[in-house]
Amino acid sequence: MDFILPLVDALSYILILVLIALGLMIVFGMMGVINMAHGELFMIGAYVMVVCQNSGLPFLAGLIIAPLFVGLLGLIIESLLIRHIYLRPLDTILATWGLSIALKQLIVLWFGPESQSIASPVDSMVTLGTFSYPAYRLLVMGAAILLIGGTFWTFLKTDFGLQARAVIARPDTAATLGINTRHLYRWSFVIGTALAGLAGALIAPTISVDPQMGLGYLIPGFLSILVGGAGPLAGVLAGGAAVGGTNSLLTVWISPVAAQIAVFLLAILVIRMRPEGLLGGKK
Amino acid sequence: MLEISNLQAGYNEAMVLHDFSLIIESGKVTALMGRNGMGKTTLLKSIMGLLPLASGRISLDGQPLQGLETHKISQAGVGYVPQGREVFEDFTVYENLRLAALGSDIGSLEMLPQIFNWFPILEKRLSQKAGTFSGGQQQILAIARALITRPKILLLDEPTEGIQPSIVHEIGVKLAEISTQTGLTILLVEQNVDMVKTMADDIAFIENGALMEQCSKQILLENDALLHRYLSL
Repeated sequence: MDFILPLVDALSYILILVLIALGLMIVFGMMGVINMAHGELFMIGAYVMVVCQNSGLPFLAGLIIAPLFVGLLGLIIESLLIRHIYLRPLDTILATWGLSIALKQLIVLWFGPESQSIASPVDSMVTLGTFSYPAYRLLVMGAAILLIGGTFWTFLKTDFGLQARAVIARPDTAATLGINTRHLYRWSFVIGTALAGLAGALIAPTISVDPQMGLGYLIPGFLSILVGGAGPLAGVLAGGAAVGGTNSLLTVWISPVAAQIAVFLLAILVIRMRPEGLLGGKK
Repeated sequence: MLEISNLQAGYNEAMVLHDFSLIIESGKVTALMGRNGMGKTTLLKSIMGLLPLASGRISLDGQPLQGLETHKISQAGVGYVPQGREVFEDFTVYENLRLAALGSDIGSLEMLPQIFNWFPILEKRLSQKAGTFSGGQQQILAIARALITRPKILLLDEPTEGIQPSIVHEIGVKLAEISTQTGLTILLVEQNVDMVKTMADDIAFIENGALMEQCSKQILLENDALLHRYLSL
């Protein structure tokens, strides 16, 4: 039964990674914005939980406030910065990298560089035979599955999603059909950032909340898109599974360093063999 | 009526249209002909707001279009079928049509029965992905997609490009019929003379980004010299 725990851990990591990568993919696939500040938005979601906990608010209130707050922050960032550099990926790297540094330093100024911890709302363990696993981690996995499913449903089954996919595929053609591309860009960016905030809030009780935590998820998130392909949503699932699974399992079975090397080798191999990613999409 | 006055437009510093003026009468099909690189596609893109204008005015039934964002121009009643069709290959026929309806002021698919009446193939293949269609079928879908918004004017950019001749004629006849039936104004950019003769009421010739001549179809039918002069035919 020793192999089950790493497998469940890997699945847990994959789901969080997919949640983060989905936000990144929406923003990149649609607007050509490589959002280097996405990890910091994820981190701010976790810090919202710290503030809520310190204010005595219930855990659930934090889970509602975090995506709303980070989504609002996303709206402000989109209005002041991102909308001026749509479809200019290189410019977006520089601008959002600067933004990520600023956000990180603001958190350091406000909370200090030391890590914070969030009490888990559910302390119990779920036991099946000889296998035991923290109930909260299972709840996070369930929530991540619901959120991923909800995002897929929104993009594949709703009118908003139809327009968003059209803008991803052919922005000019979509505009000639009367689709307000700027409006869609704005709200897709807000959805992407709110997802990051919610992911940060959900995972906060399972990790150390510190100003550097975003980077640890941003890089695997980008690698997931690179490996899976930025176009189709399903590419993020494939990429997240490949990157997250490799990273998580090899960390346990060999070492964290070997896992990192394997993930980067995987990314290089995919870029060399299939530049459009495992499931196609933008190069 | 679409009025284009003293238009200057192009790509960055390179101007393609020079002081271009043209009036498209309501309810008529006007064909714009000219050799490759003369500015035909640039004109349509400029009308649609896909290219910024350096100067000049464009108005539809008196409503200025210049300076509007592309989606606003579409909502003002300009339908556009781009060169190469540009249907959404991963979308079904229904999704392609639904998308256009969402972008229009109508917002609904109330034109769908009429569209199926004009193009029965679309009803039969409503759940088929557009990418599996032939070039001609994709062209029909692109035209239907533009018509579903009930435009006042339809801009067609080389609709016969890459399509087999039998379907070209079929599309030409159908569009002429739709224009007569609904009073739809059409600006057709085309090099296929047969298509122009099938559809057009008026013909305009463009050369080096300027309007050179405008005449009725009758004059074109009686005089091949214009085709020789402006298309080297």
